[in-house]
Amino acid sequence: MNIIVLVKQVPDTESLLEVDTANATVNTQNVKWIINPYDEYAIEEALQIKEAKGAGSVTVVAVGPDRSEQALRTALAMGADTAVLVNDAAAEGSDALGIAKVLAGVIKEMPYDLVIAGVRAVDDDGYQVPAAVAEYLELPLVTAVIKQELGEGKITCHQLVEGGSLVVEAPLPMLFTAQKGLNEPRYASLPNIMKAKKKPLEKKRLADIGLDAALVGTGSAKVAISALALPPERKGGKMVTGDTPEALAAELVRLLKEEAEVL
Amino acid sequence: MATTFVSDRNLNFLLHEVFDLASLAEHPLYREHGRRSFDMIIDATLKLAKEICLPTLREMDEQPPVLTEGRVEVHAAVRRFMRECGDGGWIAAGFPHALDGEQLPQMLTCTCRYIFAAANYSLSVYPFLTAGAARLIANFGGAMLRKTYLPPMLSGRWQGTMALTEPQAGSSLADIVTEAVPMDAAATKAGSPYRIRGKKIFISAGDHDGVDNVVHLLLAKIAGAPAGVKGISLFVVPKLRPQSDGTLIPNDVAVSQIYHKLGYRGCPITELEFGQRDDCHGTLVGAPHRGLFYMFQMMNEARIEVGAGAAAIAQAAYGAALNYARLRPQGRALGAKDPDQPPLPIIQHADVKRMLLFQKAFVEGSLALILQCARYMDLEAISTGVEMEKYALLLDLLTPVAKTYPSEMGILSTSQAIQCFGGYGYCEDFPVAQYYRDVRIHPIHEGTTGIQGLDLLGRKLVRHNGRALGYLLAEIQATIASARNTAGLTAHADALATSLDQLDAVLAHLTVVAQSDGPDAYLADATVFLEFFGIITIAWQWLLQAVPAAAAEGTARTASDRRFYAGKRHACDFFFKYELPKATALATTLLHPARPTLETHARHF
Ligand SMILES: Cc1cc2nc3c(=O)[nH]c(=O)nc-3n(C[C@H](O)[C@H](O)[C@H](O)COP(=O)(O)OP(=O)(O)OC[C@H]3O[C@@H](n4cnc5c(N)ncnc54)[C@H](O)[C@@H]3O)c2cc1C
Repeated sequence: MNIIVLVKQVPDTESLLEVDTANATVNTQNVKWIINPYDEYAIEEALQIKEAKGAGSVTVVAVGPDRSEQALRTALAMGADTAVLVNDAAAEGSDALGIAKVLAGVIKEMPYDLVIAGVRAVDDDGYQVPAAVAEYLELPLVTAVIKQELGEGKITCHQLVEGGSLVVEAPLPMLFTAQKGLNEPRYASLPNIMKAKKKPLEKKRLADIGLDAALVGTGSAKVAISALALPPERKGGKMVTGDTPEALAAELVRLLKEEAEVL
Repeated sequence: MATTFVSDRNLNFLLHEVFDLASLAEHPLYREHGRRSFDMIIDATLKLAKEICLPTLREMDEQPPVLTEGRVEVHAAVRRFMRECGDGGWIAAGFPHALDGEQLPQMLTCTCRYIFAAANYSLSVYPFLTAGAARLIANFGGAMLRKTYLPPMLSGRWQGTMALTEPQAGSSLADIVTEAVPMDAAATKAGSPYRIRGKKIFISAGDHDGVDNVVHLLLAKIAGAPAGVKGISLFVVPKLRPQSDGTLIPNDVAVSQIYHKLGYRGCPITELEFGQRDDCHGTLVGAPHRGLFYMFQMMNEARIEVGAGAAAIAQAAYGAALNYARLRPQGRALGAKDPDQPPLPIIQHADVKRMLLFQKAFVEGSLALILQCARYMDLEAISTGVEMEKYALLLDLLTPVAKTYPSEMGILSTSQAIQCFGGYGYCEDFPVAQYYRDVRIHPIHEGTTGIQGLDLLGRKLVRHNGRALGYLLAEIQATIASARNTAGLTAHADALATSLDQLDAVLAHLTVVAQSDGPDAYLADATVFLEFFGIITIAWQWLLQAVPAAAAEGTARTASDRRFYAGKRHACDFFFKYELPKATALATTLLHPARPTLETHARHF
């Protein structure tokens, strides 16, 4: 069974992020980069499936700049077999659909039975890329999976929904997204880190996958971020003064109406 | 809250900008490695530390091990962490490829241990104690011992311990009485079985349910051995004895008590009875009567690890204090009299900055010295002849300092962390009270501070005609020379040169004392000398950091890098203004003719 896992490199949520208001972006100079935590579930599940089957391969795929190679190497150190990085300046500034086009473009060139992605990426929190990839590849999609069982030519997924879970069956090949609870991702081990150095990591450009640069990147993005700002700092509380409980209550109601404008 | 138990920026700076770790990879011994794998290893270590060690820091303190029905129960995290460190290769990290290790340089293994210790010192002890015990077997044990014990120890299934201390023999191991009698009077060579009988105390991780077996590297005297340190032998004594078919049977090792401690509570310290039923088997490691020699081969590493543990705990305490000081509003600027003005975060008060700088200067100076020692170990491993001897002597000389300076000053540094928290620090709501308790063990185990002082002044400085000191002075002089060529550092270079003159004067004085009044007078202030020598050593390590930091500050591309290097500059200035002058006072004491510690008799107290 050949499994492809989509991997995104994201800032560690513990990094101190600085907003670059002028460019409506986040200043990433001092950011520590990690694998999107939900993608770790996806990688772990792929490795477990491969180990249970005793055969097959796990390929991790990312779109991003040079530094994304670190995330792929870490995935290789967890146990993935090969990696592909699409690194092309023309893809920079792509929105979710643009990224999905690139990913679908790479994947369709490869043999696969299953594609796994994280349910969301903790940076943009868009939830869209995996769904769009499934759409472009015309694959069935099951999101937010917390448990799966592979059968002959099909897969049964337990999908987390509000208040419970759904059991969904889909034919292979298909794409599912990993939700927290699916498994406990393993840690990269020292022997695997050393092995990861020697595992194949292929770098591709848009031309290599036959994708027209005009279809991706900032130019074709349907979403544009017009401004980015931190939430307003919380102001100190206000003490309500008054001599009697009635006066206090009346003052409070007045403030809620006039100042907070919530009543 | 952001992870603050360790500063990966500082680790990066020390490993790459100060000590040039990647250059080691040019040597055949480390050719498998390179900057990329080094970085991945540090990242993987940080992740493990953050996710497994840190979350149980407090719980392991609040739920210390218990002894029930002869068995010690420890926190569930111990088994998990031992397995991760075993399966993940962390226990075997420094072992050669031939033993399925990763052959990592010491600078890196040391950094990994530091990270784990900063996250949760007690938990970090289990795997690395096992690594130390396994290394003794690897270096001095025969094929049978290696085959039987190394795989389960390196994979974290079996715990290793160092069983030296006895009730009447702590600092003075010459006085141990645990006895070993050959099973077969004709077979007394390496690998021979002996019957062991005796009692050991304070044995770290001496028994627990986080592993399937415990292997004691035990010091004992073979019946009829010469008295003193020349009659001590090393044995492998398992809790469960492996049979030829692979099964394990009890080996007559009993836990008679566990100790209730001030801190470091996540790891049990046990009292062990060997051979109460006369059925405790041990295997002789190496030659008879060479046990202490073998142990001492491992001592540099073990002692530097203690220093690293102390600095690591203080690092975590400093991180907590720094966070708190940024957030806690209290008081106003000295000139500001308007009570309606909001209070300042305490980090803005000069005195709070003094406390934080003290911790920063201590932690980063100590860590630099630890990595300096690790670098000497690595250089020793890849060189030959005179070069090799040079690095070995430098390491020997600096070991008592790298053990003691962090251990003793760690107490003061964690105390200053509590002070930054005010009353909240004295309560257990924040981790700093625990750090203060945890760090206190370090001046005691692996040779007390008193013993380290004797080691430095009585042995390390005088052996080999004092060549070790010559090498060290040359290293320090080289740093002084490069600082003299660096703008902003000339005054510090001069100050350190003056300290070296003081060192010279003190040693000249002590030589005269030794000749005229004998060893008691020469060694009476050995601990004070160690403190004096320690401050000078750390000043050297600060200057060594300040030189590349000064160059990088001017060319740094990002604001956060500029802040980082400016922080280095200020911490170095702090050390030279507030700490180095203490060496002058100590020199005064060391040169002083009065001898109250010799002349006060026990009955005068
Ligand atoms: C938490 C903990 C963990 C430990 N883990 C282990 C372990 O895993 N394995 C193990 O074998 N041991 C272990 N020990 C024992 C430890 O190494 C000893 O406690 C230590 O070596 C000191 O011995 P002692 O306690 O008998 O003190 P003593 O030797 O009685 O020393 C008491 C004081 O006298 C001073 N002193 C002693 N002799 C001299 C001298 N000749 N000149 C000047 N001053 C002197 C010492 O510096 C000290 O201040 C551990 C101890 C603790 C508390």
